[in-house]
Amino acid sequence: MNSFFHWEIIGEYLPLFVEGTWMTIKAAIICVIAGTCWGLVLGVGRLAEARHGFWKHFLRYAVQWPIRFYVSFVRGTPLFVQILLIHFALMPMLINPSDGLLISGDLAREIRSQYGAFASAVLAITLNSGAYVSEIFRAGIQSIDRGQSEASRSLGMTYLQTLRKVILPQAFRRMLPPLGNNAIAIVKDSSLASAIGLAELAYAARTVSGAYARYWEPYLTISVIYWVITLLLSAFVQHLERRLGKGEAR
Amino acid sequence: MSFKKLAVFASSILALTLTVATATAAEPTYVVGAGGTYRPFEFETPQKELVGFDIDIIKAIANVSGFKIKLVSTPWEGIFATLAQGDRDIIVSGITITDKRTQMVDFSLPYFPAEQVIITGPDAKVTGLADLKKLQVGVVNSSAGDIVVSDEVGKSNTAIHRFDNTPLMLEELYRSGVDAAVGDVGVIKFYIKSHPEKKFKLVGDAKFTRQYFGIAVKKGNKELQDKINAGLKKIVADGTYAKIYKEWFDANVPTLPLQ
Repeated sequence: MNSFFHWEIIGEYLPLFVEGTWMTIKAAIICVIAGTCWGLVLGVGRLAEARHGFWKHFLRYAVQWPIRFYVSFVRGTPLFVQILLIHFALMPMLINPSDGLLISGDLAREIRSQYGAFASAVLAITLNSGAYVSEIFRAGIQSIDRGQSEASRSLGMTYLQTLRKVILPQAFRRMLPPLGNNAIAIVKDSSLASAIGLAELAYAARTVSGAYARYWEPYLTISVIYWVITLLLSAFVQHLERRLGKGEAR
Repeated sequence: MSFKKLAVFASSILALTLTVATATAAEPTYVVGAGGTYRPFEFETPQKELVGFDIDIIKAIANVSGFKIKLVSTPWEGIFATLAQGDRDIIVSGITITDKRTQMVDFSLPYFPAEQVIITGPDAKVTGLADLKKLQVGVVNSSAGDIVVSDEVGKSNTAIHRFDNTPLMLEELYRSGVDAAVGDVGVIKFYIKSHPEKKFKLVGDAKFTRQYFGIAVKKGNKELQDKINAGLKKIVADGTYAKIYKEWFDANVPTLPLQ
């Protein structure tokens, strides 16, 4: 056994694994929160409709259709491709020392060299998961009986009030399991960012396997770490489900 | 068809089969793995055909040593494992011969002198390796450049950005994602020649000792190693090597330590 596995090479690169774990967790937390918010915006926009006049057309052509197009594009292309597209094409166009559209000059240089890969990875994963979350929200909202929103509207509540006080609290409970799945997917998908040099868990394993041409130890190690993270995450989601589910228990 | 004709026909078929069989036995086919993103050593044409300096060299060696090769594009990451697994017999992919690698695979005699070089943008003030300590540095994962930079700033340092290939690393440098990069001088010079508008600067350092590229075979495959070495000596002696070198680089054909 000792001759087959050389766990000491993991010890040699331990800081890379520790920082990598931390980076994976950090990126996942930001992406889950931002992706859920972005998905809520998209999901509500996707369902927004008006009966008459200007708003009917505005909502359909300027809100619903662009969101449909976006969701279709994001869900129809690989996240890996999106990460490369954002890091090597979109971000350099926006933030660039010589002619960035958003930020240029020394600040741009500083941002790109210190946080470039992190920012690109977080942006790509957030934009990606937003599209999936929007579908979860849409399904969740549509699953609440139409009579409820009709009832609250006849009580004099506005559309947004109805959404916030009546529909979303109930819908959220139903959305929790798929949202939990999405969060787990984000943790795992963050490994794709190692391709743009983000020092997360998969990057640590790639570095070690590259240096020693050994594959069992580094990839088993990060598998276990990913597994522990996702197990903790699903335990947390189950806890939330139990707490929020109390109202529905009979 | 008369019996005589049939007999001639049958025996010619037999002879043909035998010729083919002996030819195959005499000329074994080896699977050669090479990366596809290491211009000008090996890269893919739009028709997915592998070309480059390394490819020409291994073809010339195969030609004089009497074996056939089948080229297979192989990603750099995990390329050494393909030898141990038996997926490839030979790896020629601009591999610098290092002690660590010599423990995992067997190398041919050196076929190309390579060294590392620091690349920066036009206004960077880097004069040597020591200046990289406070900077974000790009390297190709597990390349010789990675090893040098890891020694200098610590291998677990997250200021090292490891990429899959040289073009990706240089793109990140061009986009200011890293402040400097360390790579192989052959590839870098070829890149600068074809992209003068990026205004990259080259900086040397005394710590970059001269290194050599070698052709890798599975650890212990002495027979194949000998064949490759004999072939390499032959193509150097008969001028084929110099001809290939001039085609890809310049007229300063190096003297290889072929002992």
